[in-house]
Amino acid sequence: MKDDREKWARIRIVMIGAFFGLLFVIITGRAFYLQILQHEEMVKRADKQHQRIVPLTPARGAIMDRNGTPLAVSVEMDSCYGEPRHIQDVEGTAAVLAPLLGTPKNELVKKLSNGKGFVWLERRLTPEIALRVKNMKLRGIGFVKENKRFYPNVEIASHVLGFTGQDPNGLEGIELRYDSIILGNTGYLITERDNLGRDIAVKSTVIKNTSPGKNVILTLDKNIQYITERELAKAVTDSGAKNGMALVMESDTGRILAMANYPTFNPNSYSRYSQAELRNRIVADSFEPGSTFKVFLIAAALEEKIIKPADMFNCENGKYKVADCTIHDTHSYGRLTVSDVLKYSSNIGAAKIGFKLGDERLFRYLKSFGFGDRTGIDLPGESAGNLRDKRRWYGVDLANISFGQGVSTSAIQLVTAISAVANGGNLMKPYIVDRILDDSGQEVQKFEPQTVHRVISQDTAQQMARMMETVTTSGGTGMNAAVDGFRVAGKTGTAQKVDSVTRRYGAKRTASFVGFIPADKPKLTILVVVDEPKTSQYGGVVAAPAFRAIAQNTLAYLKVVPSGESNRQPRIVEAVNNQARANLALQQEAMSEGDALETPADGETTMPDFRGMSMRRVLQVMEKRNINIRLLGSGRAMEQSPPPGHKIRGVDEVWIKFTPSA
Amino acid sequence: MIDRRLLTNIDWMLAGMVIVVCLLGILNIYSATTTYKIVATPYYIKQLYWLLAGMVIALAVCTLDYHILEDFSYWLYVFVVLLLVAVLVVGRRSMGATRWLNLGLFNFQPSELMKIVIIITFARFFNNFQTIGGLTIRDMLFPLTILAVPALLIMKQPDLGTAILVLLIALSMAVYRGLRWSTAVTFVLVTIPVAWLGWSHFLRPYQKNRILDFLNPERSRLGSGYHIIQSKIAVGSGGFIGKGFVKGTQSQLRFLPEQHTDFAFSVFAEEWGFIGCLVLILLYLSLVLWGLKIASRCNDRFGALLAIGVTAMLFWHIVINMGMVIGMFPVVGVPMPFFSYGGTSMITSMVGIGILQSISMRRFMF
Repeated sequence: MKDDREKWARIRIVMIGAFFGLLFVIITGRAFYLQILQHEEMVKRADKQHQRIVPLTPARGAIMDRNGTPLAVSVEMDSCYGEPRHIQDVEGTAAVLAPLLGTPKNELVKKLSNGKGFVWLERRLTPEIALRVKNMKLRGIGFVKENKRFYPNVEIASHVLGFTGQDPNGLEGIELRYDSIILGNTGYLITERDNLGRDIAVKSTVIKNTSPGKNVILTLDKNIQYITERELAKAVTDSGAKNGMALVMESDTGRILAMANYPTFNPNSYSRYSQAELRNRIVADSFEPGSTFKVFLIAAALEEKIIKPADMFNCENGKYKVADCTIHDTHSYGRLTVSDVLKYSSNIGAAKIGFKLGDERLFRYLKSFGFGDRTGIDLPGESAGNLRDKRRWYGVDLANISFGQGVSTSAIQLVTAISAVANGGNLMKPYIVDRILDDSGQEVQKFEPQTVHRVISQDTAQQMARMMETVTTSGGTGMNAAVDGFRVAGKTGTAQKVDSVTRRYGAKRTASFVGFIPADKPKLTILVVVDEPKTSQYGGVVAAPAFRAIAQNTLAYLKVVPSGESNRQPRIVEAVNNQARANLALQQEAMSEGDALETPADGETTMPDFRGMSMRRVLQVMEKRNINIRLLGSGRAMEQSPPPGHKIRGVDEVWIKFTPSA
Repeated sequence: MIDRRLLTNIDWMLAGMVIVVCLLGILNIYSATTTYKIVATPYYIKQLYWLLAGMVIALAVCTLDYHILEDFSYWLYVFVVLLLVAVLVVGRRSMGATRWLNLGLFNFQPSELMKIVIIITFARFFNNFQTIGGLTIRDMLFPLTILAVPALLIMKQPDLGTAILVLLIALSMAVYRGLRWSTAVTFVLVTIPVAWLGWSHFLRPYQKNRILDFLNPERSRLGSGYHIIQSKIAVGSGGFIGKGFVKGTQSQLRFLPEQHTDFAFSVFAEEWGFIGCLVLILLYLSLVLWGLKIASRCNDRFGALLAIGVTAMLFWHIVINMGMVIGMFPVVGVPMPFFSYGGTSMITSMVGIGILQSISMRRFMF
């Protein structure tokens, strides 16, 4: 009896124990559910409760020219903030800070007593002010590094680069077009707050740093850009014009080497300029091209084998009635060859060629040259120009369009189309960003030249080049564009501008010159447009000299050796002077690389010291010194044979070893 | 006075487990109160004093032969019931409840004492109650009456948590004594209308709110549901290995309510993670099972009943507190024995441990 009762008592204890154990297991399961399964959700809720997040300006990557010269950089600056809960003497703190930050004291007091955990006082202080505030070691006043955009060359290439706003986003130019690449990841200032948004003595502010953006390397060359801007400014100011544009493109590739608008602006303080002054008119605006368009007319007619360069056209002594209009030439001509129509820029001759070609084919070729369509250059806000569909060409339109009236084109379209003539017939896609590097300098992306399509045959292109050369020879409209030692192909343009009030052609002109050099093996296509010049209205007078100066200085800088041939008889003294001036100027302004490498006086070829040079530089020196060397590897020159100063003649192996730089 | 043989039989396992939990508790109180305004004596130091006081009391209790408790049991019962009445008449009000008697030196909470006294009273009653088989409804009439009086008095204070605990302790002992199935079923059937009556007549609005908030914590995010949500966030964000000692964001930034007392376990779970919870739960489970072991190897029925009662008391405190912290039970002010900050809880629990020790030490004495 007693045993039985004891047995039951034991069983009940085991049951109670099992029940206790079961409840503990349930609790453990619940803890597992909360801490393991729901962990992330709970962490999110926790963070939301006790973190306040303040975004910080990320560092934008640099924009550099093709030689790595910085054109736009981010500079770290101190931004000053207050943590009101750490400030006991708000009045006193505000009184000390007010004169330094340049903010009224009562405004500071208001900011510092609003009960928030964090408040910006002044962003991006100058280093001196920041240092003075820091030295005061005020309680509850802190600093974080923020980035400010800075354009070290001030106005150079400003329209290409664009600018950024107060927040770090790009607003114009490359800064806008490549914003997502240049802009780094936003950093965050994380402040912790407690239950009542106050009283955090435990942890101060934690900063999650910004990550830097990528660097953009342009096809632009700062030195060529400088030359172009200088000569454009001169052309515009000398002629009393309203403004001007100049563009230098590599004829074969479509790479933009220089792109200049005048007047320029200072992107460091862009807010002082009007919207019109900030616009990159080279891509955003279009203008009536005028006579430069005759190039495309004649190219189309030649390609279609309707005419030959030697064919004669009657130019009607300067007056020719078409429909109910009369076409005029500046000078009256009788019969002219096709080549001379171009050389003397006869409108009547052009109109007659246009009639021969017909609207359908002219339209097709103009389209093919890229008019009426955006080129797709990697800059924002591109204009497509205006080329009406041929179904809407009436009366005198065919004649007008033949010499470049009643159509409009952007500067970039015109240069791209002329480059197609220069490079043997291929329309290239123009581009201005060469490659993208990450913040450690590794190449992320490289842009290669892209052929859009072939427009005209090699033969036609060569015939055109020869005809365009005559423009810059004696008697041609573009004589002022001739460059000593080089053959220049080009075309002047003088377009009447439509008066915005009368909606008729008025007295205002757009004077331009476009061409390529050297004509036989073109390297550069250059366009100069001068808007509303006052001293003279002719492109050959106003724009051609700027073309010559840009071409001459750029070729000298690029060390393109003059062929000796020239479109005009060299005026010896001037030529020498020009060359010397150009060289001197360049040495001062632009490049400095490799000045030490002078040819020894005795003419005996000795081995220079190549060590440390880039391969490009080595190739330049090789070309200049006319020596042939085996190049091994890539990167920077590390070893060479024979050693510097030794004679090369009689040495079997002349080589340089390159090692990739770190 | 103390038999030498007793000392050799001290239950070191029991003492060891209790001291480990107490030390973990003090460590945790240190972390939970680092952001508190500095007072003369920090909470963790005070808790250390309470631990020492509790150990002295436990030692004193265990030297007493627990059998004398049987003789005093009803007198003790009457005395504490009178104290509970006194609380309602002359008690000190604090935070909307009257639970304390001011004894000059410190405030004393008779309802805490009732937890121990109900154990002794029930042990005495069941020990002398001779029937064959399980208890019938009729058998339960007297014990239910002596249970109802203090339970209602405590509920009136109001202190729902303690009232429920007293009920649970007594019922656990009845279950150990053995109930007939019919009795158990009747209890369940009666509980439902009683609970409804209690809901409509006895529960204060704040108590009703707590229960509603438990059922749906999002009901009042910033009201009393706030406690449950905050505690769950703290525990959940601790994850597997926790945020580290004194590194819990929710506790250090004071998002947790009552974090050194009722929600101390929440701080611990945030800073030590699931691993820490597991360790603490296993320690408590061992302690409770050890209590049952003491009961089962005790040679006399009174001792076994006492041991079951004390173990049940510890168990229900632990389970209700943990359940509350991790959102399984409504928020009732039940501390974690040995772990939460608080002198009253420490002393009550230590008296219980003294009784258990006393029983364990005397298992060979006959």
